[in-house]
Amino acid sequence: MSDRLTHGEWSDAVESGDLLGQTCSDCGKTQGTPKAACPHCGSRALETVELPTDGVVYTETTINVPPVGIEERGYQVAVVDLGEARVMGRLSDGEVEIGDPVELSGFTEDDDGYVAPAFEPR
Amino acid sequence: MARAAVVGAGMTKFGVHDKPLQELFGEAALPALDDAGVEPSEIDAFYFGNAMSGQAENDTHLGPKLASHVGMAGVPVQRFEDACATSSNAFKNAVEAVDAGVHDVVLVGGVERCTPETGKDTAAMTRIFASASHRQYEQPTGLTFPGVFALFTKRHMHEYGTTEEQLAEVAVKNHGNGALNPNAHFGKETTVEEALDGPIVADPFRLMDCCPFSDGASAVVVVSEELADSYDAPVDVSGVGHATDVVPIGDKETPHVTQAARDAAAQAYEQADTSAAEMDFAEVHDCFTGAEILASEALGLVEDGEGGPAAEAGRTARDGDVPINPSGGLKAKGHPIGATGTAQLVELTEQLRGTAGERQIDGADSAVAHNLGGDAATTVVTVMEARR
Repeated sequence: MSDRLTHGEWSDAVESGDLLGQTCSDCGKTQGTPKAACPHCGSRALETVELPTDGVVYTETTINVPPVGIEERGYQVAVVDLGEARVMGRLSDGEVEIGDPVELSGFTEDDDGYVAPAFEPR
Repeated sequence: MARAAVVGAGMTKFGVHDKPLQELFGEAALPALDDAGVEPSEIDAFYFGNAMSGQAENDTHLGPKLASHVGMAGVPVQRFEDACATSSNAFKNAVEAVDAGVHDVVLVGGVERCTPETGKDTAAMTRIFASASHRQYEQPTGLTFPGVFALFTKRHMHEYGTTEEQLAEVAVKNHGNGALNPNAHFGKETTVEEALDGPIVADPFRLMDCCPFSDGASAVVVVSEELADSYDAPVDVSGVGHATDVVPIGDKETPHVTQAARDAAAQAYEQADTSAAEMDFAEVHDCFTGAEILASEALGLVEDGEGGPAAEAGRTARDGDVPINPSGGLKAKGHPIGATGTAQLVELTEQLRGTAGERQIDGADSAVAHNLGGDAATTVVTVMEARR
């Protein structure tokens, strides 16, 4: 693995059931998605870290009018607190509200092969 | 001291338009030139906004196409794209150009077609709008734009107890204001009951919490502060702030506080040597009812957490203490993406001149416009004041 987390590595991890993020060695903040430099302080001293796969729903919504390419209606999207970071994902099963505990359950994939983490209630 | 002045303003009715982009833009630009009393030959530059006609209509490099149509081929034209904050960013750059002495007289405007007249249905246009969310870390979840603001609003409801009824009150107010605006997409009033009875788009938003897909154009003529008095009815631009926030939403520190709006507002108020308390009204980016509530707090018009109660109590109505969106806002006036930012400034110009007709805010001297783009990642805030 390179020093700086890439989208490819992040995606491979999601497909393997892991979540990777980055911790800034200078300001200490952790991000749930890869960057070339810390979005808060600009430092390039980013360390790839494994994020917990258990978390708590920070916010959520249920989408009933999907974009073209998605047939399903009524799917839930949530931003999940995972320790120091947050990640956006799709609910694969069940319904959740803010504050509910969830765990990584797999991933969803769009028409172009881009993946998103999937969560389910724990 | 003002940084620039608006001396001409024009816009089309927002709604459904079956005509090419250049013709639609001409219907806003020529009235703006006529209002200013300037000929195309007097325009030094054209700052232009369009967000998605490349995707929606296979139509790009619009700058010279539009300039040719309105009689100003030859002038430098630059096109801006910042999602829904597109034409306010064009405006910011035009103000900076006249402020710096680069140009004296600039045409600024935007045009967009988002209705099925483009050949794209709701699902296709929903995907095009979603292109402004992060391609790798947001779009693969199936996130839509109502979904983006639903995520912010649900957290705001959790933090402050904001209710669906309070969201509905925003829609009712803006539809009432839009009914007085001949350029509004929706000219019909609605009720809280009707709003709460609509189908859910992305909870907590029902159909009436969402702005429409609209076609339309808007334009203003911006001149340097020194030249302003040589035109009739100039309106001063005293501050323009512009800020961005981290993308994607998961990496923002506190998504529902819309930090970019707070930063842009602080810059604009500081430049204008004024404050939220001095604003007689605001035009804010109410793409969804929840977005208006977040904006009212981010601009400092109400305390954090008071956006919902303020709407419910009528404080943000035209006769309230902090009137918001007398034009009807995006919710009722409509939202042709690239035309929205300068259309807000058309409303500020008319109100500050005292020519807004039935929807006029009595004695309006100072006002603020808030135009947001993407997942609240771009915000441009403009303060304008009547020249007395």
